[in-house]
Amino acid sequence: MLVSTDSPDPWLERIKAEIRDEAAAARQRTPLPRIEPRVATTADPAPAGSGIEPARLDYVIADLTGADYGAFIDHAFRSLLKREPDPAGAGEHLRRLIEGAPKAEILGDLRWSGEGRRIGARVRGLLPRYLLAKFARVPVLGFVVDWGLALAGLPVLMRHQRAMDTVNAARFSDLRTLQRDCQTRFAGHEAAQQALASAQQALVAELQRGSAQFEQQLAQLQQRADALARTIEAEAQASTGELTQLRHEVHATHHWLASLQQALAALDEATAQAQAREDALAAAVGEDVAAQAQRSERQRAWSALLATRLGTGTRVLDLGSGAGTWLRALAAAGLVADGVEANAQLVARARQDGTTVALGAPLDALTRCADAGVAALTVSASLLDGREAVTRLLDEARRALAPGAWLLLRVEDEPQHYRVRLLDARSCAALLAAAGFVAAEVVAGHGGSAVLARQP
Amino acid sequence: MLVPGLAPHDAVSNDARGMAGALRALGHEVALFAPHARGIDEAVLDPQTLHAWLHSREDVVIYHYCVGWDFALDLLRRTRARRIVRYHNITPPAFFEGWSPGYVNACAEGRAQLAAFAALGCELYLGDSPYNIEDFTSRGVAAERCVVLPPFHEIDELLALAPDARRIPRGGPLLLMVGRQSPNKGYLELIDALAATVADGLSAARLLLIGKLDPNLASYGAAVQARIAERGMQDHVVWLQDANGAELRAACEHAGMLVMLSRHEGFCVPLVEAMAIGTPVIALASSAMPSTLGTAGLLWPEDADAWLIAATIARVHADLDLRTTLRERGRQRYAEVFAPARLAAELARILREHGFA
Repeated sequence: MLVSTDSPDPWLERIKAEIRDEAAAARQRTPLPRIEPRVATTADPAPAGSGIEPARLDYVIADLTGADYGAFIDHAFRSLLKREPDPAGAGEHLRRLIEGAPKAEILGDLRWSGEGRRIGARVRGLLPRYLLAKFARVPVLGFVVDWGLALAGLPVLMRHQRAMDTVNAARFSDLRTLQRDCQTRFAGHEAAQQALASAQQALVAELQRGSAQFEQQLAQLQQRADALARTIEAEAQASTGELTQLRHEVHATHHWLASLQQALAALDEATAQAQAREDALAAAVGEDVAAQAQRSERQRAWSALLATRLGTGTRVLDLGSGAGTWLRALAAAGLVADGVEANAQLVARARQDGTTVALGAPLDALTRCADAGVAALTVSASLLDGREAVTRLLDEARRALAPGAWLLLRVEDEPQHYRVRLLDARSCAALLAAAGFVAAEVVAGHGGSAVLARQP
Repeated sequence: MLVPGLAPHDAVSNDARGMAGALRALGHEVALFAPHARGIDEAVLDPQTLHAWLHSREDVVIYHYCVGWDFALDLLRRTRARRIVRYHNITPPAFFEGWSPGYVNACAEGRAQLAAFAALGCELYLGDSPYNIEDFTSRGVAAERCVVLPPFHEIDELLALAPDARRIPRGGPLLLMVGRQSPNKGYLELIDALAATVADGLSAARLLLIGKLDPNLASYGAAVQARIAERGMQDHVVWLQDANGAELRAACEHAGMLVMLSRHEGFCVPLVEAMAIGTPVIALASSAMPSTLGTAGLLWPEDADAWLIAATIARVHADLDLRTTLRERGRQRYAEVFAPARLAAELARILREHGFA
């Protein structure tokens, strides 16, 4: 197996033990960054462009003190803690602003909180202001310093106060102008609203008229649909009558077909009985002892001749095997013979004598053989019953016989062949030669002839 | 060779095509059958016509089992040809509970067919890993019919590519994770480990995620993004959904380590890619990963927390000897175990010993 779980490696195990110790120390040293659920803040929205900028870690204090109240708190959280303010924290810092805490103190508290230190944003100018704000919290001394700073800054404060008065006056003036503008617009909107109401009434009246027309058209359509339904119903009744007639005709045709089938079956039965009587007649034809002795003699000679041409053990296909006497002669000569016979009575007789003969049309059996698949073929000349049979046998034999294979045509004047006018052996040899077989020869004697020929 | 689907850069498809190539090199006639195929540069036939190809009991059907597929089960039941089940594993549905009902159903259906395939008594069960093949031995399949063969892959083609580093982050220790965003891949735990790494000293550490997100797992992708935001790691994570081979090659070369915290892998090809390129690997000893990685990387139990992974990352980053050793071991393991020539030879040996060749 290519893949297997390797045994522990001592060197790696030692390193892993050291790593475990380092991890244990780190767990104590630094907590995992806190998971803060996102909550909506009630503070004013942050000024435009003051969203969280995770990458920005450098500010000047003016960047953070420009906004007021909620916007100031929100912006401070986003800048220094890189997150939105949580409700509790925002509320506490707003309370401190209301109580007069300087913005620098709130910014410093956020910047130098544990969370702010981890982020480490730099706010230029914040540290001295934050220290002063914290110093002002020192009892007595802080109060004195606060007073001193206030007195020192009094001229600046007064200048700011005068500037603020001017700004406020300008804003009040703007507000009055805005109020007048709003009143003018409101009056305009009222007039527009009245015009819209009039137009709406006109539209409602138009809609009502349209609705009445629609109902009228709907009633007309309903009348037409009723008339159409009545017409369809009448046509359906007429069609039902035609269908009934058609059904009768189908039943009659079916009855006639059934009768025809019975007649055909009777004809098939009669044909089969006629064939059986014919087979029985052919099979019942007797022959005398001398004829039997002659047949045995000639078949022994032919099979011996065939065995010398083929070699023992060769498989031979025989067509028209009759009661199997020829197959037994072939077996006695050391050949392996398969026979096919159309007469069921003769096949049964062969089986009684211990020879297996297949029941079927001999020429059909040859047709099913593969091309060049037959090593040797023997055929009773009784199968050459007419021109069509002769042609078919020769064509199929040429196709199915392997190159160099032998064909033996048995020309025997057997009593079962009373229906057939047999070709004589010489004619058979001429036919084989004409079909393309070579080395055709006739072996005569003992009341019959064998015509031997070879596939080229 | 019967596969539920064929696509480029897909692990199962790579295995099927690599195996087909190895079998052809052994002189066998091989045809690929799949109901869906795209981007494949050879003929892929309709599975409905597979019966016409099977002429005798000497023919072999190799089915790549990675999803539930009634057609394949029925075909293996009816065919008279010899059968090989190539098993790539199916993620247990529990991983997808709460994320995707569709995945839960699909995985449950796929795993439900394990017993049916085991009961077929196929001539050979071929698992990607010892972990995979346990699914059949535990269901009563005889051990002599169960064999492990690592999957064929396209890593040699990856090694032949010129790296494209234009989208690869620079600076800081770069951690790499390769694999689709899926609950079994441990992305949430990976973000926690990154946060611990950043918090405990490696403040410039970055994590490069290479892998697609199936829209059916959008809820898991959103959870990963939320975890990144909650840990404040937005500036530390880069996610490439559409990385090509050249970028993957560059990522492996630039990364200080591959961190694979997956809880379930049938084999884990990214580990082999990292070993072949020489990227140190940190992984969990879950499912098939121990047998794939061997001693060529640092393995931790599945209950390893973020601090243990962070300490491992810091150690690998700081310890040049450790990095060098892991790099050398990875390359050696690739050459000895996973190189395509080794896989082809192993396939030939398995087929010979089991009477297929």
